[in-house]
Amino acid sequence: MRERQLILVVDDEPQIQRFLGHALVAAGYDICLAGSGTEALAQAMAQEPDLMILDLGLPDMNGKEVIERLRLRLDLPVIVLSAHDQEMEKIMALDLGADDFVPKPFGIGELLARMRACLRPRRTARTEVISQDGLLIDLTAHQVSRDGELLRLTPKEFDLLAALAGNAGRVMTHRKLLQLVWGPAHVDDVPYLRVFIGQLRQKLERDPARPELILTEPGVGYRWARSERGTA
Amino acid sequence: MDKRPALAPDPAMESFEPPRLPPDDRRWMTTPRPGGVLGAALLLALVALAAGQLREFLPENVSILLFLTAVLINAAAFGFWVGIASALGAIAAFNFLFVEPHFTLHISRPHDLVTVAVFLLAASLTGLLAGRLREQVEAAKTRAAALEMLSQASAELAAVTGPAEVTRIVLRHLNRLSEGPAVALAPQGNGLHLIAALPEGYAPEPRELDAADIAFRHGRAELAPAQGWNGQRLSFYPLQVEGSPGPVLGHARLAPDRRDRDLRERTIEVMLRQAEQALHRLSLAQAAEAERRRAAAEETRAALLASLSHDLRTPLATILGAVTTLRELGVTLPPDSQADLLAAIEEEAERLARYVEKLLQLTRLNAGIAAQMTWVDAGDAAQAAVARARRAWPDAQILAETGDLPMIRAEAGLLEQSVFNLVENAVKYAPGPIRVTGTVDGDELVLAVLDHGPGLPPAVANWLGQDGLTGAPAGAGLGLPICKGIARTLGGRLTASRDGAGAKLALRLPIPEAAA
Repeated sequence: MRERQLILVVDDEPQIQRFLGHALVAAGYDICLAGSGTEALAQAMAQEPDLMILDLGLPDMNGKEVIERLRLRLDLPVIVLSAHDQEMEKIMALDLGADDFVPKPFGIGELLARMRACLRPRRTARTEVISQDGLLIDLTAHQVSRDGELLRLTPKEFDLLAALAGNAGRVMTHRKLLQLVWGPAHVDDVPYLRVFIGQLRQKLERDPARPELILTEPGVGYRWARSERGTA
Repeated sequence: MDKRPALAPDPAMESFEPPRLPPDDRRWMTTPRPGGVLGAALLLALVALAAGQLREFLPENVSILLFLTAVLINAAAFGFWVGIASALGAIAAFNFLFVEPHFTLHISRPHDLVTVAVFLLAASLTGLLAGRLREQVEAAKTRAAALEMLSQASAELAAVTGPAEVTRIVLRHLNRLSEGPAVALAPQGNGLHLIAALPEGYAPEPRELDAADIAFRHGRAELAPAQGWNGQRLSFYPLQVEGSPGPVLGHARLAPDRRDRDLRERTIEVMLRQAEQALHRLSLAQAAEAERRRAAAEETRAALLASLSHDLRTPLATILGAVTTLRELGVTLPPDSQADLLAAIEEEAERLARYVEKLLQLTRLNAGIAAQMTWVDAGDAAQAAVARARRAWPDAQILAETGDLPMIRAEAGLLEQSVFNLVENAVKYAPGPIRVTGTVDGDELVLAVLDHGPGLPPAVANWLGQDGLTGAPAGAGLGLPICKGIARTLGGRLTASRDGAGAKLALRLPIPEAAA
């Protein structure tokens, strides 16, 4: 394993590459750069980076295509940089296997946090017990308790919770959650998912009206809030 | 009668004959014409002469048949009255020549009276039948002429491109159908105004204008009263175009005693409906054209907005990213990196300022306001675009080769933006140096950006040649649609071609005559 993790930055704007280069090096990563989709795929094969940061507005192919081709060969985490008018492309990229997205413009802290979330599960594989903010989730025993008090969840609610909390800090699209919990026949039943998220929030959140654990990514999906303390 | 097989409106049609009028109301008892009388007398004289000469050889009953034949011919050819007269003449001649006592007109035998009656009956029947036949032929010809006129009008109306043409065509036909003046009036301001008249220079009287006004306001035909009554001499018909009032057409009163009056009235009615339909079609075509223009403007706006948001976002993302990097990772950043980030922030802030300036310019375009054309040195605009491109991509080799160029009518900002977009495209997609040239090609000024790249994908090049701004194939980017929009706004076009080993994108703009 490399000493420093290698990040592939794919963006056709030299100015973005420029500041990302400085920032990522200072944050302790190695970087390589690509300015087009073709170049990105070639670099990914040759360098085997630990993570790819992919801008959706590439000149030669759209982000969806890059991810599709990438996924044929490699399974590295991908964070998508998206603009407001690329909402559909962003969701498709996430459904196709991009791990997360950061809307442009972004502060470097936000991007670094997303990168850490995407890189982390690959280091600490298979968490059995998730403990966060007084909440204890035992994935093997299918038990959830808050401050020692057992919470009653239906099996589906628990599956949904496990899918979210197991990917803490990462966005889970509606489609991905529906597929994981209800199966491929239900990938479009977003209203259904919304009802279950509501129920989970009622049971888990201290204030269901202002959720702190299950965060909504409007139009995209949900994200389990990661407590930076517990994962450092 | 017009024998040309005519449908297509050609200039020869101007001489189209209107349905011919029979000279009299009662065709089958038509008054004899001098020619007819003369012809009949001549024929009768010939027969009498021949019969007189052949008296020795021909028996009486054969001679009388000769006379009867002449009477029948006269009746058929010249009508009822001539036939009757011929019959009387024939009887007299026969009596004079053949009946005892010879060379007197005295009828002594009773059966001679029967002969007279038979002659008269045959002559009148023949005259009447022939007259009626002729009348039917005339009527059929008249109907055919009317139909031909209608089909001609409808062919002409199908080819019109403007309302004035419709009026002109219909007036010509109304003028012929009514055999009198025809006028067209159109609503203008708060009243009707004469827009055309045939014969030219014909001016309707005040009472006629009043009648037209009534027709217009009530939305129904205002017919001229019968001859001899007080009132206007013209009938007026208001036309409806898409439910709203159109022009009012008027034609001279039809002579009431004509047998084909009904036919003419119906023909006029059909022609007016055709005119209405032609006007309707024109108004629909106009609406469709307006809609097309509006959609094109909308497309331009959408493309401009998309490009603009891209151009604004990149510097914003750079500035925000660099600032947060300096703030959050400042401690760990080497001094070189810090300096470079600060430089990036400065550059991008300047870029942003320029874009905001563009935004203000383009907001005007977005609002659909036409470009503010002034005299512009295209070379200067190209140089400015190149300078900007050099600042944006310091590593790119961009050569400006614009010599002395004529001034053109354009908006400098738009011109610079479009050249910049082309250079930006070349920088992004082509390796090697980029040349920006300015030349004159005929009556066009050509600003071209040449690179050593693969050129546009065929789909994009194909799209450039098309009319619309949307539907750009994936990968066309946003710069090209804007260029195309700007080229069109400036009255020019954007073309793509191969040039040696590279691609050539050219902005071709018209050179005004004054500058050439």
